[in-house]
Amino acid sequence: MKILKIEDLSISFGGLKAVDRVSFEVEENSIYGLIGPNGAGKTTIFNCISRFYTPDEGKVLFTSKTGEEINLLDYRVEEVIGKGLARTFQNVELFKMMTVLDNITVGLHREMKGNILFEGFKLPMIKREEEKAKNKAREVMKFLGIDGIENQPAAAQPYGIQKLIELARALVSEPKVIILDEPAAGMNGSETKELAKLITKIRDHYKTTILLVEHDMGLVMDICERICAINFGKKIAEGTPKEIQDNIAVQEAYLGKGDEEDA
Amino acid sequence: MEDSKGTIRKNNRLISNLLKGKPQQYLVVGIIFLLIPIINLWTGMISFSNMTLLNNVVIFAIAALGFNILLGYAGQVSLGHAAFMGMGAYLSAYLTMQLELPFLLSLLLSGLVPMVIGLLLGLVALRLASLYLAIATLGLGVTFQNIFIEWTALTGGHAGLRRIPYPEILGFEIRQREHFLILSIVILVGLAIFSYNFLHSKTGRALIAMRDSEHAAQAMGISLFKYKLYAFALSAFYVGIAGSLYAHLYRYVEPSAWGVELSLNLLAMVVIGGLASIGGSIVGAAFIQLLPRVMQDLPLVGGITNINFILTGVALIVVIIFFPTGLIRRFDFLWNKLKAKVGKLNSKEGGTP
Repeated sequence: MKILKIEDLSISFGGLKAVDRVSFEVEENSIYGLIGPNGAGKTTIFNCISRFYTPDEGKVLFTSKTGEEINLLDYRVEEVIGKGLARTFQNVELFKMMTVLDNITVGLHREMKGNILFEGFKLPMIKREEEKAKNKAREVMKFLGIDGIENQPAAAQPYGIQKLIELARALVSEPKVIILDEPAAGMNGSETKELAKLITKIRDHYKTTILLVEHDMGLVMDICERICAINFGKKIAEGTPKEIQDNIAVQEAYLGKGDEEDA
Repeated sequence: MEDSKGTIRKNNRLISNLLKGKPQQYLVVGIIFLLIPIINLWTGMISFSNMTLLNNVVIFAIAALGFNILLGYAGQVSLGHAAFMGMGAYLSAYLTMQLELPFLLSLLLSGLVPMVIGLLLGLVALRLASLYLAIATLGLGVTFQNIFIEWTALTGGHAGLRRIPYPEILGFEIRQREHFLILSIVILVGLAIFSYNFLHSKTGRALIAMRDSEHAAQAMGISLFKYKLYAFALSAFYVGIAGSLYAHLYRYVEPSAWGVELSLNLLAMVVIGGLASIGGSIVGAAFIQLLPRVMQDLPLVGGITNINFILTGVALIVVIIFFPTGLIRRFDFLWNKLKAKVGKLNSKEGGTP
C-alpha cells in the first residue's frame, strides 16, 4: 500500500519556482530517499509535507494512524504529528535548556491529555500519564543506545548524540511515517555506516516508513529501496538505487553534462 | 557510639527525603517564613512599617512568579503587566465594597477576570513578535492606566478608592500586618507549588519548548499561539491576585501605582532573580523591594534624599553584570557546592571503621 502520495506539488518564492509539479509515492514500511544537488528543493518538499510551508498547488495524501486517507494540506503544522507523521531537522533543533528525557517526552505532547488545572494539583491521572510518557521515552532511548543521560541537559551533549535525541523525539510517538532531513550531515564515514544500520533497525522494529533527504550518496544507495531524484525543483528520475545510478539525467545533474567536459 | 551515628544518619536521611522534591522544599521554607509573623505577634520586634514591607515582598513575589511564566518560561515579553495588577486591585475593591462579596471569592475573581481580559488582549497582541509585542503591551499598560484614571465611577479617578475592607476569612477579620503576612505567604507557597507542578508537566514542557525552538515545538504538535495565550493569561491571573492582595493590604488604590514603572519593576525582578525559576521570582521580588530600604540605612550616603533609588539602580547594574543568569542560580551553585562538601564528609565518616 502507498502510505504517502505527493501529487503535483508546486511552490514558488517570489517568482522563483522552488518546486515544480513534483509527484512521487512512498510504499508503506519502506525506506524512500529524496536526492538532488544543493538547492534542488528537497528540504522545501519536506517542509511542504510537514506543513511548515503551504504549497501553491498539489496534494499530500497520507494514510493516517486511523487508516483513512487524508490530504495533509488540510491540517495545520502542529496537527501533522498527531496524524502520524514526525520529522527531524537539518540543523538539529533541540530544546537546549531541557533535559534529554524531557526533550524526548515533548514528542508525546499530542498524546497527553492533561490540562493546567489537573497538572497544577498533580492529580493521580497526571502522575500516571507522566510516568507512562517518561517510560516510553526511556524505552526509545534504550533502543537507540543513548540511555544513561536522561537527566543531563540536551545542550551539553555532543553533536552525534544530539542527532539521536532528535531522532528519539520524533520516534517516541510511534509515527507511521518519519521524515529525516539529512540525518548524516556532519558525520564521518563510520558514523554514517552506524546510522545506516540504525535507520534500517528503526524501520523493522517500529514498523514505520522512512522518508529521507540526504546528500551522502553512499547512505542513500545502501539503505533506500526507492529513490526520487530532483533538480531545480523538478523530478528528473525515480526508481531503485541501481536505476538511479544508471540514469543519465541524474549523472548529469550531479557531474555535469558530458560535452561540457569536452569544451 | 555506632548507635548514635546510625540515628544521626537516619535523621539525615529523613531530612533529605523531606527536602527531596521542590514542592516539599517550598512548603518547608514557607513554614519557616511563617514563623516571622507568628513570633512577631508575641515579641513585636519588627516594626509596623517593616511588616508592611515584608507583605509587599510577598505580594510582589506572587506577581513576579506570574510574570516569570510569561517571560522566563514562555519567552514572551510584556511591558504592560501593571495593568493586570491594577485590574485585580480595583476589581477586588469594587467586589468587596459595592457588591459586598466575601474576600476569598473576590480574590479569586480578581485573578480570573484579568485572566480572561488577558486572553482577549493576547488574541490580538500575541500575533506580534518580540520587540513589536513589547511595544504593543507597553501601549496596553498606558491605556489601562488611563482607564483607571478616567473611569471615575468605578475607580474614583485620581483620588482613588479608600477604606477598602479588611480581608475576612470565615468570620476572622485580618487587621494586623502579621495576620496578613500569614495569608499572603500561604497564597504564595500554594501558587509556587501549583506552578511547579504544571511547569513540570506537559504544559510547562510545551512552554519551554516553544521558547527554545519554535520550529521543533510546532513539529512536535505544540500550537504556538495556544501556548503563548496560555502563558499570557496565566501570568495575568497571578498578577491579578497580587493586585487584589495589594488593595486589601493598603486598603487604598490609586492609578499612579499601576504605571510603566511597575511593569518595568516586574521585568527587573524576574531578570535579577532568575529567568525560568520559581525561587528566582521570589528572590528577585525581595531584592527589588528590600534594596531601597537597605540602602537607606547605610551610613553616610543613606542620609541623602533619594540616594536609595540611585543606589538601587547601581545595584541592578552590578547584579546584571556579575550574575547574568540571576541571583537564584548563584545560590543554587553555592548550595550544590556545600552539598558536595557535606557529601564528601559523610562518605569519609562512613569509610572509617
